[in-house]
Amino acid sequence: MQETLVQVRGLSKQFKRDNGETFFAVKDVTLEIRRGEIFSLLGPNGAGKTTTISMISGLLTPTQGDALIGGNSITKNPLAAKKMLGVVPQDIALYPTLSARQNLEFFGKMHGLGGKTLNQAVDEVLDLIDLGDREKDKVDNFSGGMKRRVNIGIGMLHKPQLIYMDEPTVGIDPQNRRRILDTVLRLRDELKMTVLYTSHLMEEVQEISDRVGIIDHGQMIALGTVGELIQKVGEEDRLILKVGEQPVAEPLLRRIESEVATATRAQYERREIANGDSGALAAAEGILTVYATRGRRALPDIIRLANETGVDILSVEVREPDLEAVFLHLTGRALRD
Amino acid sequence: MLRKIWVIAYKDLYITFTDRNLILIMIVTPLALASIIGLAFGGFIGGGGSDVPVQNIPVAVVNLDQGVEFGGSPLNQGQTFVDLLVPQGDPDPENVLHQLTNAVELGTAETARAGVNAGDYSAAIIIPAEFTASITTTQAQTALTPVQIEVYASPAAPVSANIIRSIVESFSNQIAMGSITVASTIGALTERATANPLFGLQFAAAAGGDGFNPDFSAAFSPDAALIRIEQQRVTGETAAFNPLVSFGSAQAVFFMMFTAMAGANNVMEERRAWTLQRQLVTPTPRMVLLLGKMVGTFISCVAQVIILILALTLVGSLIAGELQFIWGTNLFLLALVILCVSLAASGVAALVAGLVRTPEQGNTIGSIISILFGLFSGAFFSVEAVPGANVISRLTVNYWGVEAFNKLSQDQTDIGLNLVVLLILGVVFFSAGLFIFNRRLSV
Ligand SMILES: Nc1ncnc2c1ncn2[C@@H]1O[C@H](COP(=O)(O)OP(=O)(O)O)[C@@H](O)[C@H]1O
Ligand SMILES: [Mg+2]
Repeated sequence: MQETLVQVRGLSKQFKRDNGETFFAVKDVTLEIRRGEIFSLLGPNGAGKTTTISMISGLLTPTQGDALIGGNSITKNPLAAKKMLGVVPQDIALYPTLSARQNLEFFGKMHGLGGKTLNQAVDEVLDLIDLGDREKDKVDNFSGGMKRRVNIGIGMLHKPQLIYMDEPTVGIDPQNRRRILDTVLRLRDELKMTVLYTSHLMEEVQEISDRVGIIDHGQMIALGTVGELIQKVGEEDRLILKVGEQPVAEPLLRRIESEVATATRAQYERREIANGDSGALAAAEGILTVYATRGRRALPDIIRLANETGVDILSVEVREPDLEAVFLHLTGRALRD
Repeated sequence: MLRKIWVIAYKDLYITFTDRNLILIMIVTPLALASIIGLAFGGFIGGGGSDVPVQNIPVAVVNLDQGVEFGGSPLNQGQTFVDLLVPQGDPDPENVLHQLTNAVELGTAETARAGVNAGDYSAAIIIPAEFTASITTTQAQTALTPVQIEVYASPAAPVSANIIRSIVESFSNQIAMGSITVASTIGALTERATANPLFGLQFAAAAGGDGFNPDFSAAFSPDAALIRIEQQRVTGETAAFNPLVSFGSAQAVFFMMFTAMAGANNVMEERRAWTLQRQLVTPTPRMVLLLGKMVGTFISCVAQVIILILALTLVGSLIAGELQFIWGTNLFLLALVILCVSLAASGVAALVAGLVRTPEQGNTIGSIISILFGLFSGAFFSVEAVPGANVISRLTVNYWGVEAFNKLSQDQTDIGLNLVVLLILGVVFFSAGLFIFNRRLSV
């Protein structure tokens, strides 16, 4: 088993709402990050990812709990803990009137780099984030994606053993997103860094992570490898069948569950779609969800049963088990809601 | 650690001094303002006309003149002057002198001087006992003897003090010239005042005008001067007023307050932009970070004042046609004043930044404080007539700084109190600000 680099124990943070009442933004979070892995925190907006990262990087004092980074307590021995650390904040945190190079140089110096080492490190990072030819340009003139890349570059400049990346792909076009994900993988594979990655996008988490912690309402609701987590929902595929405005009666659901061999569960959900402008009810959309192992094979039977009860299937989507399904399974909500 | 403080300070200085708009606000605006007002006022001193909206200058008049018997009736020129300045009953709104000044008559020179020292008056006019006797020929005294009216002025209010001085000059000239009777002078004054409501200060200078032609040569050429006006500083030394210094230092300190406020408030802005947090996750103690920010602010202030002082020296020298050290020749003390003023300004700013919640709040409150400091220290117009303003002005960085600059420009070196006050303001506020801010960051 790999060495543990970060140990988070019973971490909680309480905040005050504007109306004065207190609430836990993070509650009793415990996790370990092993050397050399990409560990992801997956959770919807407001789940407590940034608050967690802030506490384990020494920006926020935990209400309860502590984190050890390479054995150093972030609350009791913050400077030693911070020496091992690189942080990429969720928001683009750069000086707009400084050039890319000047930004990198400043934060490099703050990490204690200087002279040739600094120059070399800046050159390397500029190369890695593919901005070598724009190094002298003011960051203000950069596109969103370029700024993101500088934002990330600063976090890795001093070659930390451990790097936190808080939603580094937010608000970015697919091309830049791909580039960033590749960079994250290179950090682990080529530079042997340990990465704590947060996101609310399950696809990227599923792709790059060795292990994932799913966080919701400040609490860790599941933790493990992608495979382990998916096992929680079983091997079942999720079949999403759209039926439009037609009503689906309970007997059909029960018949699917009993007559389709591999199907375990069938649900019907009716969503009303409001007209964007007027807010008036424009249409209703019915969705029939069936959980089944080897879902594609169950499809003909399901369609037959639907036809027998007079329900036309308008579209079909087969989802193999994924983290989205895990989140849905655990919370009853979709990640994106 | 020192290296990191400098890294942070240098970054802020670099960002500040490469920002063209900021330079415009920090250097160009105050320089232009100081030069324009200074030159305009300089023109006024020299006899040219210009309107400066000054009102209700508090002034104490002490008439020690014992007068003489003249042609069988008592003549007291000193009393004439008192009557001219001090309203009988309610101030006459038509009377420019009553508008311009807020004169009261006091019994003794001591109480008047004490009033100036205490900040109750901008100046005291003290007419000596032998005033009328000296300038009047009688059978007993056939020769005229030069006599001195003392204008004891507060260095805190150089503008007002100079206006008073001009009024005394103007008045004295009338008497000394002997060409116009006192009565007609008053008549002419009143006439002109009613004719031109914007008369303002022109009256005192009154270069050209109907029925009122003061000749300034008497006041400025020692030989011709029968009555000398000696402007007394609190120190008792003769003052030489340089409007470029007075306005320049007032503007410099005023704008420097903004620089300091902006510099300290930058901590709040960096916090919102997350660049502060980004520095906080580096192995850097929080105090080092805050110190770095404040050192940057302090150096910005120092640089701004130095540049303004150099630029105004250049302006002054260009006008004079030769190099003039308008800020005095004691460069060591000048440097000390610059450092202390900058420290005090940064300190006040650090405290403000430590107390506000958002950068917007910081901006608003910082600006309000800077403007209030400017107002109460008389950077824009004389506030000596405002009750309590003299006391309040002593609570401002501006007052102590501007006064020190003015003294130095007159080669007076008694600025120990100024330096001490500024230093204490700076150290106390600076420490308090850092302490509070440091605690606020640990949430
Ligand atoms: N400084 C704060 N004061 C009060 N509430 C906060 C503060 N920071 C975050 N929160 C609240 O804590 C919750 C978790 O926020 P955050 O950690 O930013 O979530 P995430 O990063 O997962 O989107 C949210 O409800 C957020 O509004
Ligand atoms: Mg977040």
